[in-house]
Amino acid sequence: MNIRRVIYNFILVLVSFILQTTVFRALDFGDIAPNLMIIVVASTGFIKGDRSGLVIGFFSGLLIDIFFGTYIGFFALIYMYIGFIVGKFHEIFFSQSIAIPIVFITIADFLFGFICYILMFLFRNKFNIGYYMMSNIIPEMVYTALIAIFFYPVILHMNNRLDEREERNAKKFV
Amino acid sequence: MSPIIKRRGEEFTLPSKYLLFILTLLCIGTIVITFNTNLFTGPLNSFAGIFVVPFQKGITTVGTYMRETSDKLSSITKLLEENERLKKEIDELTIQNTTLEQEKYELTELRNMYQLDGPYEQYEKVGARIIAKDAGNWYHSFVIDKGSDDGLAIDMNVMANGALVGRIIDVGPDWAKVQSIIADNASVSGMVLASSDNLIVSGDLELYKQGFIRFSKLVDDVDKVSIGDKVVTSNISDKYLPGILIGYISTIDDDSNNLTKSGTITPAVDFEHMNVVLVLLELKKDIGD
Repeated sequence: MNIRRVIYNFILVLVSFILQTTVFRALDFGDIAPNLMIIVVASTGFIKGDRSGLVIGFFSGLLIDIFFGTYIGFFALIYMYIGFIVGKFHEIFFSQSIAIPIVFITIADFLFGFICYILMFLFRNKFNIGYYMMSNIIPEMVYTALIAIFFYPVILHMNNRLDEREERNAKKFV
Repeated sequence: MSPIIKRRGEEFTLPSKYLLFILTLLCIGTIVITFNTNLFTGPLNSFAGIFVVPFQKGITTVGTYMRETSDKLSSITKLLEENERLKKEIDELTIQNTTLEQEKYELTELRNMYQLDGPYEQYEKVGARIIAKDAGNWYHSFVIDKGSDDGLAIDMNVMANGALVGRIIDVGPDWAKVQSIIADNASVSGMVLASSDNLIVSGDLELYKQGFIRFSKLVDDVDKVSIGDKVVTSNISDKYLPGILIGYISTIDDDSNNLTKSGTITPAVDFEHMNVVLVLLELKKDIGD
């Protein structure tokens, strides 16, 4: 991790968080906004591997915790594990095609919604899972997948440019 | 013949599963710490104030400006019609106003008689703009653009359209986080204005999508409470100032224990289209005496 990549990731997480809480809150459908943070975490994990995925996941979650979490570390934990698990698929799948990462982002968002339901609602005796599924988890998943189609190529492109630059720098030092 | 690229000196890297393990422990540690204390709020809140809040403020201002401009352009024709209608309404209202003036006089008389405090007009208020809403779709909390520098503190009540929105649960130098009463994890002690019966108003994600919030634990043996009754915050709440409008009762059901009643309330605030809120600069614990 060189300093350029750290700054890039910091800005990426910050920008997606700000967009998610402001612009996409205004563009919501039926009070459901897309989850940009999941896109960032899952894409980074998918492109760069489990290590980057879990670090980005940890910091994205922490940012949400600072603003909207009741307990610091709660969302950090969830996002971190999602980043880690998606990152495990980095070695198995080819990240240049668009379809597979979108599927992973969608699954990651579904997983996130489901975990949130279990930890924040099921534990408070709210058992109507069908309702929460149809009104919250599935719509968010679809919206997120839709946004991911446009957002993932941007993340991939930025990442490839950083990779190229790193490679060039590495060559210089041979 | 590509040359073998040797990375400059293999750096020592922690295997990711150990990193995961360490960070997991760290998270659990911070969860436990924040569960029991509020050790972290200071430094983290100032971090948020420096890096995130200014951007949120900017984007929200631009967004609001753009929405307002587009609204302006599209509504000129509507305004002309509305102008006609409003002129008629003014006449009606003037008549109504005079009757109300008379009633108001009567009301002050009665209030003096009962030595009741006036409603919340007397509290000091400050306006604030909503700059960000909850990152997830589960709870309904939001961030406003005023903070402790403007005299805001935790547990201050927040209002919009003359009715209760929620209370501040976290405050930074120039921002504050508000938990709304419709959030699934929020509940308010309320009171039916007509009969002074106490009840508990709690947010419910399931009902909110239909435009309601839930109430429960209403003790009303003589069936005095009816649909359409006003519900306000009660005197026994330790966080909410008394007498702030919450909403109107829309359904009442008997509980299975036959002692209490529960049902739904239509909130008086339009939570969907809320841009500006009022913060009451007074804490319940301070006005007790």
